Amino acid sequence: MDLFVQTLVNGLLQSGLYALVASGLALAVGVVGIVNFAHGEYLMIGAFLAWAGSAFLGVDPLLSLPVIAVAVFAIGALTYRVSIRHVLLAPELNQMLLTFGLGILLQNLALMLLGGNTRTVTTPYQASSLQLGDLSVGGPKALAFGLAALLLGALYVVLYRTTLGRQMRAVAQNRRGAQLIGIDVDRVYLIAFGVSCALAAVAGVLVSVLLFASPTVGLVFALKAFAIIVMAGLGNLTGVLWASVLLGVSEALVQTYVPGGGGWSDAVFFLMIFGTLVLRSFRGAR
Amino acid sequence: MSARQAEAGAPVRAAPRREITPGAALPLLGFLLLAALFPFLPLGSRAEFLLQIAFFTLVAGIMALSWDILARSGQVSLAHAAFYGLGAYGYALLLKAGLPWLLAMPVAALLAGGVSLILGAVTMRLSGMYFAIATLAFTEVVRTIIQNLPESVAGGATGLLVPALLGGNSRAQYALAWGLLAFTVLVSLAVRLTRLHFAFAAIRQGEETARVLGVSIVRFKLLAFFISSSLAALAGVLYAGKTFFINPLETFSLANSIAPLTTSIFGGLYTTLGPVLGATVLRVAEELLHNSVKDGYLVVYGLVLMLSILWLPRGLMGLRRNRKHGGDL
Repeated sequence: MDLFVQTLVNGLLQSGLYALVASGLALAVGVVGIVNFAHGEYLMIGAFLAWAGSAFLGVDPLLSLPVIAVAVFAIGALTYRVSIRHVLLAPELNQMLLTFGLGILLQNLALMLLGGNTRTVTTPYQASSLQLGDLSVGGPKALAFGLAALLLGALYVVLYRTTLGRQMRAVAQNRRGAQLIGIDVDRVYLIAFGVSCALAAVAGVLVSVLLFASPTVGLVFALKAFAIIVMAGLGNLTGVLWASVLLGVSEALVQTYVPGGGGWSDAVFFLMIFGTLVLRSFRGAR
Repeated sequence: MSARQAEAGAPVRAAPRREITPGAALPLLGFLLLAALFPFLPLGSRAEFLLQIAFFTLVAGIMALSWDILARSGQVSLAHAAFYGLGAYGYALLLKAGLPWLLAMPVAALLAGGVSLILGAVTMRLSGMYFAIATLAFTEVVRTIIQNLPESVAGGATGLLVPALLGGNSRAQYALAWGLLAFTVLVSLAVRLTRLHFAFAAIRQGEETARVLGVSIVRFKLLAFFISSSLAALAGVLYAGKTFFINPLETFSLANSIAPLTTSIFGGLYTTLGPVLGATVLRVAEELLHNSVKDGYLVVYGLVLMLSILWLPRGLMGLRRNRKHGGDL
């Protein structure tokens, strides 16, 4: 029973990270209408920036986090300006392939410049753990979950309580209608895409502390984020939370209870994406 | 209203139909001829190395062209690596089971084609990004399964040894690869010049409309999947027989799905010459870069894909200004 509860808690904590990545992606898909296949690469950039800050400047990743978020927001905005903006009205295939190409480009640039090695970030609190009764929870994991929850809360406040958020939701619902009532759609897209990338980068900073930084670290998280937003239904931000928890917990359960779980847990997760997509398609949702 | 009635009335002019003239096949024939003559060029001391690059260029051509055939029916797949890998593994396992190579090759291709029918049937209703992600996930599932099967079955994560194709004679191997590329080109032309072309194009441009017009979506989509995947599996067989060692990580690598996609788009989607030309240009570029950097030579593919989408949406084939040849092949 203890093992079971422990597994549930671990899965729940992991889901915070997933929700962070997925809500960023949901923002790009929902507001800008772009399926960003390069989303994981912004996570990778965040992870490497955190590693660089820690290795060269001796700055703790959690302190450099705001700076990294702003920096990657700028990178995302730049990406929007030079590439995404030009395919907004192009067929969906072109948009998809453009971001796909961007992802390959960024990932392989990182491989070229930094090599395929994984880089770890050492922090004083890395080995710490919290005791809650019988449960023990990794300190960084709990921290990451708390931070993710905080940021997601902030995202909701922005989306539902501010003018900018209202504009974003308006643009998401109807681009032309929003334009007609005087919303600067281009500016909203720029901000939404930048925030989407910044959220991925924040997740990347957390990943560098929890796991490591490597050129290919982003892909898995991006795929999981896709799985989550597909499960949640496009543009459904509340659904993203539930789907993240579902994915995190079911992954933890597979890792704990399926023999040889390490190798097979990947397959389970991909089967889940596959199954969700196929089931949704047969239920009539597009 | 028939065409004659239209002519009798107001000057209704039909959209100019670009007929396919025999002349359109000339560049394609020229390319195949050049490729056939390549081993007979005075290649000097690096002949073996150059021949190997040329061999893998032909393999890349088969992959790109077969991917394009599937794309013509509106299915932009990221599962090409899966069928490439299934071809390679199917061939290796069939050889292990004692089949002669000449038989193992088509059987491996048909097996991969059979698997593609299952994937095609399941992903039938998915479109755009959902289809792409589902096919990507499928590739990972296949890879994980092969990797986690007991080592005695498929070699596990370590990989499998494959007997060298045609006793390791690189000229004979090249000739075989050339033959398979020529076969793929013939298949592609057959798709282009028959009713299949109209069926695929109708499905791609609008499934609803195609259905109203009486095109059997299920049948044609599956047919496209079967043709494309069997050909990709043949490319996988060539790969397995040439490198005589296959492992899941490299054989099912995402790169093997990305390369044909990028190559086709760069060369010119929905054409026969385009993907083959694109494969030649990109393979050479990749080799040049591969010599100077160890990791990340795929960067070419990312860059080419982005630039093609932004500035060259019709690919290399779109560069041709003078189009008196009529329709592209």
